Amino acid sequence: MRRIASLVVAIWLTAAGVAHAEGGAAAEGESLFSAKCTACHSIGGGARVGPDLQGVTARRSHEWLARFIAAPDQLIAAKDPIVVELLGQYNQIAMPNLGLTEDEVGKVIAYLAESGTAPPAAAPRPAVSPMAEPELLAPQSTILVLFLALTAVITIVFAAVASSTRAPAAVDVERAYALRRVLFFTGVTVVTALLVATIPLAPYVTADARADRVVYVAARQYDFVFSDEPITSAADLAQVPRISHLEIPAGTLVEFRVTSLDVTHGFGLYGPERQIIAQTQAMPGYFNRLLLRLDAPAQYHVFCLEYCASGHHLMRADLTVK
Amino acid sequence: MTTTRASSETLYWIAITFVLFPILTAVGIFLRTVQAGGLPGLQSWFYPLMTLHGVGMVGVWYVAAMAAVSDRLSRYVSPSPLMGRIALAGTLLGVALLLVCVFAGRFAAGWYFLYPLPFKGEWPQWAAVTFLLAMTVLGATWLLWSLDLLRAIAARYSLSQALAWHYLAGRSEPELPPAVLITTVSLIAAVAALLSGVVLLVLFYVELLAGTASDPLLMKNLTFFFGHTLVNLTLYLGIALVYDLLPVYAGRPWKTNRIVATSWNCVLLIVLFAYFHHMYMDFVQPGALQAIGQIASYASAIPAAVVTIFGALLLTYRTRMRWNLGSTLIFLALAGWAIGGVGAVIDSTISANVRLHNTLWVPAHFHTYFLAGVVFMVIGYFYHRCQELTDLPENRSVQRLAVLLMVIGAYGFFAMFYLAGAYSVPRRYAIYPAELAFGAKYAGAAAAFAATFLLGFILYLAETGKRWLRVVRPGQ
Repeated sequence: MRRIASLVVAIWLTAAGVAHAEGGAAAEGESLFSAKCTACHSIGGGARVGPDLQGVTARRSHEWLARFIAAPDQLIAAKDPIVVELLGQYNQIAMPNLGLTEDEVGKVIAYLAESGTAPPAAAPRPAVSPMAEPELLAPQSTILVLFLALTAVITIVFAAVASSTRAPAAVDVERAYALRRVLFFTGVTVVTALLVATIPLAPYVTADARADRVVYVAARQYDFVFSDEPITSAADLAQVPRISHLEIPAGTLVEFRVTSLDVTHGFGLYGPERQIIAQTQAMPGYFNRLLLRLDAPAQYHVFCLEYCASGHHLMRADLTVK
Repeated sequence: MTTTRASSETLYWIAITFVLFPILTAVGIFLRTVQAGGLPGLQSWFYPLMTLHGVGMVGVWYVAAMAAVSDRLSRYVSPSPLMGRIALAGTLLGVALLLVCVFAGRFAAGWYFLYPLPFKGEWPQWAAVTFLLAMTVLGATWLLWSLDLLRAIAARYSLSQALAWHYLAGRSEPELPPAVLITTVSLIAAVAALLSGVVLLVLFYVELLAGTASDPLLMKNLTFFFGHTLVNLTLYLGIALVYDLLPVYAGRPWKTNRIVATSWNCVLLIVLFAYFHHMYMDFVQPGALQAIGQIASYASAIPAAVVTIFGALLLTYRTRMRWNLGSTLIFLALAGWAIGGVGAVIDSTISANVRLHNTLWVPAHFHTYFLAGVVFMVIGYFYHRCQELTDLPENRSVQRLAVLLMVIGAYGFFAMFYLAGAYSVPRRYAIYPAELAFGAKYAGAAAAFAATFLLGFILYLAETGKRWLRVVRPGQ
């Protein structure tokens, strides 16, 4: 059960003779590609977890592609030189068996052949230069300052007590117990007040909450699929129209209904300041409802915030508020 | 107080801890180095080694704390030597299986192997099966070990006595050492956690063998009831050591009374419900459970701060404290527990958790109370024990330097986590995206601080190791 990155395809080698499938086969191949391959591969969109497959049918023989797509573990085990090279290029992340039939493999190759000469399906993500940290948002800043302040108090108290052992003396235990009572009632009061003040701020949506717009999000290893309709299984991917680039008018109250098609992921929404403004988990079999108003026009990012295996750090999406 | 002889199992556990901990620390340094952009050729090992580091550290410190508590409690009760050997053998077998699945199978589902990830990663299925077998062996072994220690306590104290209920009723006879009370509370909850782990593993096996999928929400609840509670209790086992040891150095008694009894009985209830805070971002979890998670997490701070930490500080205040490597580490461990606890309580606020969940703030606070808390408690005890058995002259300069390096290294390392977490840098990313590339800077500094800690630990090891050797080979 090895996943691939390396390819769906290691597909490539020269060879000739790549098949030209019939239009219908290529169309079915597109659906299969969408469901099984796009988490790790693009066609003309640049390398992801595995290589960009544009032109792969010109680089690899049909026979090799068919063998590799059908049973990648066998070629990996046989240390096929092309596979070894691809594994080296892609961090030893191996392509998993996809469970495709021979007929389905042929359709995928037909789609790859047809797409290989077409214009890129999507523009490669523009290279982004490493960015310095932004200014902390107010909530994050408050959290950090509170933590540092309390840490300073604890440090001072422990240092004072340790230092006091240089001048040993009897301690008035009754006074100490009186202080403990004060601390106890103060602590209970503070804790109760904080609970009363903060629990109502929880981000959970009530059943009757209504948004200006509902966006369905299906997470899978290793991408997020946006749609205006629910996607509850891999099969839906071929039938439900996707939103290729999500744009939302500024000020819209948006509800993201988030699920997963494989393992648990995290839907972490990062605002213009590149810090988390909202998040929820993407869990198979459940829809988590995340409701928020997006006011500031800018590019927002979604990063996966639940570890989901080797492509976890590559799993992301962008959306635009304008 | 008389010095009891250390069992051979205790000496083995000390040696195992001293070997595994620096290795796993080095693995942690590797992880932060990769995140800093170093060692690009080894990047593909990040997630398998992250799994090894997580499972390894949780496991090592659970068994180290159990071994230390078993050794200390042998003053009051009689744990079974046979069970001690079974625990040792079972743990070594589990570790061997873990090493096989990580290094031969590149298994990388993380230390809490969140369902159904073990079945859906890039690793071969045999690696997932081997990992589950490793967890089964470790879980079953630790369950039996915990039950045996409870049996040993029950052989001397009734359940109500071991839970100090007679103190609640105003009686103080028979006298109950706080360490026995805390261990009883911890192990009752540990048994519940380990049973949850058993159910979790059974459901994994059912899917593996019969193809029957489980409910991911149920599995996640089982995972965190098991994982969170076990980690929490590891810390409490360390606290049991503190209660028994600090009076030895402070020269003042620290006994069970009504307040201490009330506090730890409350802990027994609270600790079973705090795990819900791991589920905050699962919005389909019933809202009442989310609120209980925050209430229990906040409530746990009161007995910890007002009873245990206040009590420890009162015990130490203006006493003729005998400071050495052991007592210094134990005292500092309480500060680590308190500071890590602050980070944890902030994170357990639902509205703050939205900003912090699965960022580096999470490893920040659990490393604080684990590394600067339970690790300091246990290695403080190990030093104390070896020194008690050998009475070798203490090199205060080396000991001070060891502590200084460990404290600077540990807190510098934590600070990088806290700062990056505040900036929303995610945890468990092998490489940071361009938008969060500044995370690499914090990772690089963290690796340097962790190396400083490791240097301090090596000095600690030199001081404690020679005493351990003297115990093992008295003639040399």
